[in-house]
Amino acid sequence: MIIQYMKKCDIRKRRLRTIVIMLITYHLSLLTSSAQGFLKWEPDTVPFFRGVAVSFDVAGVLQRKLSDYGQYEAAMRINLHDQYFPTLELGYGEAVHENDEVTGITYRTKAPYMRLGVDVNVMKRKHTGNRIFAGLRYGFTSYKVDMDRMPFPDPVWQWETSFGVKDEKCNQHWAEVLLGIDAKVLGPLHLGWSVRYRRRLAHNDGRPGKAWYVPGYGIQESTRLGYTFNATIDL
Amino acid sequence: MIINKSFFAKLIKPLPWGGVGVGLFLYACSSIDCPVQNTVATYYSVRDASGEATLNDTLWVLTRRCDGSDTLLLNRFTGQSAFSLPVSYSHPEDTLLFVVADTAGIWTLDTLWLKKDDIPHFESVDCSAHFFHRLTDVRCTHNGIDSVSIVNPTVNYDPNTTHLYIYFRSEK
Repeated sequence: MIIQYMKKCDIRKRRLRTIVIMLITYHLSLLTSSAQGFLKWEPDTVPFFRGVAVSFDVAGVLQRKLSDYGQYEAAMRINLHDQYFPTLELGYGEAVHENDEVTGITYRTKAPYMRLGVDVNVMKRKHTGNRIFAGLRYGFTSYKVDMDRMPFPDPVWQWETSFGVKDEKCNQHWAEVLLGIDAKVLGPLHLGWSVRYRRRLAHNDGRPGKAWYVPGYGIQESTRLGYTFNATIDL
Repeated sequence: MIINKSFFAKLIKPLPWGGVGVGLFLYACSSIDCPVQNTVATYYSVRDASGEATLNDTLWVLTRRCDGSDTLLLNRFTGQSAFSLPVSYSHPEDTLLFVVADTAGIWTLDTLWLKKDDIPHFESVDCSAHFFHRLTDVRCTHNGIDSVSIVNPTVNYDPNTTHLYIYFRSEK
């Protein structure tokens, strides 16, 4: 039954990947047909420095409220000529998975994380307030993990065995490639989302071998895709 | 509010709300990636002076549980050159009884003590708890066993690593 479930999830993952690739291809085809100004400076009278915006990721909060893990994340980005957006994302990720109903394992971690990178507005008309982004991020977190299991009998010797580590120090560096949109909704308020493809660059998962939830990165080995839904306010 | 009539302006306005659906879809499924090969055991290679050897005698390996009862770990092993034995999860030293019956019908009994460090190994909250081990010392009595040595102290999921060489006296 577990194998069937895993197979179903594999099929769903493949379908999901196909849909995301189609979505990205669709966006890219739109961009190649009409976004002649990609990475090209648009000569006009609009000033180079266009202000600062702050944003908040709603998806991470919902994820935390609806599941055992998630993150609270805010970002600050600088608007350079509506074209380049150096961005700093700061967040606090946490996971509290208590006494798994199948394996009995408890996993806890909470730690801040940061991502630094830049978005490029790839729309032809860059000053409309609506944007399609392509971007890169470098992320880092240093966190501690508690994991344990209620004592259980050794399968051969039958001694009671306890399993766990406490305050295990871990860290991770990773990179993200993202594609997102940002639409001006009302006054200084923008709404937008981004889909992110993540790869680990370096990591220390501590003595137990692997970490499960990494703040800012998500669940290891579940999927390399991430998602944010941002509410942004121009300051 | 300025309404831009361009194609992108029309396209982009409803997309944030579509993104909610995409987000929910992305979080809808997660997979469980537990290793298929998840047996942690010590692998013994039967050796003689010329290298790997086949055990022509018959071998049983037993151990004693915490309640004092015996349990059989290896039954009637013969005609092969390698075998595996389980390792206790968190006991600092395993005590194993090796019973050998040679081809002439002579029985010998040896006790083998295997010291180790136990390392909790975690894959995911969806995968059951396991222990990896680092073998630190092995010693035994020498009735049927000539000697035992550790050749690779790291015990994990890898089934292709030989951890101990064992030399039996009855091997010619």
